[in-house]
Amino acid sequence: MSGTSDVDTSPITLLEAVRNQGKEWDVIAPRYGVTNPDPPWKTSLIGMNECLAVGGSLPALDRRRAEDELGKVVYSDVPAPERELLALVHTMLRRGLVTEAELAGRMRTVRSRLEAI
Amino acid sequence: MSKGHTHDHNGDDHGHEHPAAPMVEEITDYEILEIAVRELAIERGLFTAEDHRSFTEWAESLGPINGSRLVAKAWTDPAFKARVLADGVKACKEIGLDWTEPTGFGTPSDYTNFVVLEDTPKLHHVIVCTLCSCYPRPILGMSPEWYRTTNYRRRLVRWPREVLAEFGLILPPEVEVRIEDSNQKCRFMVLPIRPDGTKNWTEEQLAAIVTRDCMIGVALPRPGRTADVHPIHKARRPVESSHHGRAAE
Amino acid sequence: MKASKPLKTSEAPARFKVGDRVRVKNMPNMFYTRTQNYVRGAIGTIAVCTYKDLIPEEEAFNYDGRIEQYYIIRFRQKDLWEEYPFDNDTLQTESPEHWLEPA
Repeated sequence: MSGTSDVDTSPITLLEAVRNQGKEWDVIAPRYGVTNPDPPWKTSLIGMNECLAVGGSLPALDRRRAEDELGKVVYSDVPAPERELLALVHTMLRRGLVTEAELAGRMRTVRSRLEAI
Repeated sequence: MSKGHTHDHNGDDHGHEHPAAPMVEEITDYEILEIAVRELAIERGLFTAEDHRSFTEWAESLGPINGSRLVAKAWTDPAFKARVLADGVKACKEIGLDWTEPTGFGTPSDYTNFVVLEDTPKLHHVIVCTLCSCYPRPILGMSPEWYRTTNYRRRLVRWPREVLAEFGLILPPEVEVRIEDSNQKCRFMVLPIRPDGTKNWTEEQLAAIVTRDCMIGVALPRPGRTADVHPIHKARRPVESSHHGRAAE
Repeated sequence: MKASKPLKTSEAPARFKVGDRVRVKNMPNMFYTRTQNYVRGAIGTIAVCTYKDLIPEEEAFNYDGRIEQYYIIRFRQKDLWEEYPFDNDTLQTESPEHWLEPA
């Protein structure tokens, strides 16, 4: 690999809170007898990666370098695909594509919306 | 990871009635996080909901079945095999796979330069992308996790035979092991050697033994091997530690 | 939807052909590059002429949309790694023309 990643790998409070819930797919799926190896949001994450690359906001090589670095330093004990999701969001936050405050707020709104059904 | 199981339909649709699949009955923060960041990204204009839907549907359509079918057809039809080796993208169109989807120009990660690498008794190919784990997703689906690890990407180019041995594949030293590092826009797949014991097999029977690992080059197809399993060799007679319960020194 | 559009084929002929011996230059990385550290300075053989394409944006000092030939180059593993024990093993990887010089 050539070049170094420039992503700030210091932990992000919001993402640490998500990770500390411990609700990775390989833990919760067996509890419900679900045998699908992937969580339902995995293909949506793939779609988002492609969109960010096409639009130029986050080229694939940059995203993967940051993911390698973050996977080594911050999220080493998180299984894929959760590690990939956390690394993506971490990178987007560090690049200022979204802010931690608005993301925290949106997560609250989304949860209320989904739990109201 | 292979999700499917082969049905021997003999050409008929038996109309299997599967019980309703159980659902995970909770909404995790991971699920919420993915939705939230996606909504914000769309609102910020980083991409459109329509483009996201298009790429997501494309991702959902993928799997290694087309790769298996391509290999099985190449094994049984020498003229098709010649076309596969001459122009991979064009040959894929013959089996209903279009590398230009979903944009008309491919994706920003997979492009439209697909090359099939033919193994011979003297030459064994294995594929890696040391930079970022590029993979021929349109024909093989999503890459397995081990393929994306820095462990595989760093070690395969330096110690290919050791890494292959960890997958259970050991090759004689006179066979040329050729590593293909897909660092630019070409995407690769291995066309393995058709194994002994498959004479007169149908294309469907042949496709069933061409698993994803065979098309990456870390396994060889053989009769009876229809899944990529990486067994953990547990000890038959594990010794219980006599230090159990003592504080660590 | 925005994506890489197919390019008009460049009129400039490819500098190298299959079978030519080439050396991978060791150029300084201004930005991220797709030329791996482990092939810098190594000598290999052109195995395939693949396609013509824009040179990667991150490698252009003055990005002017230059199109050039890409190649798959084959190296002997023994030429890439010290003490590599298997004589016949090889590695192939892809490179745009401006990273290569005749060997």
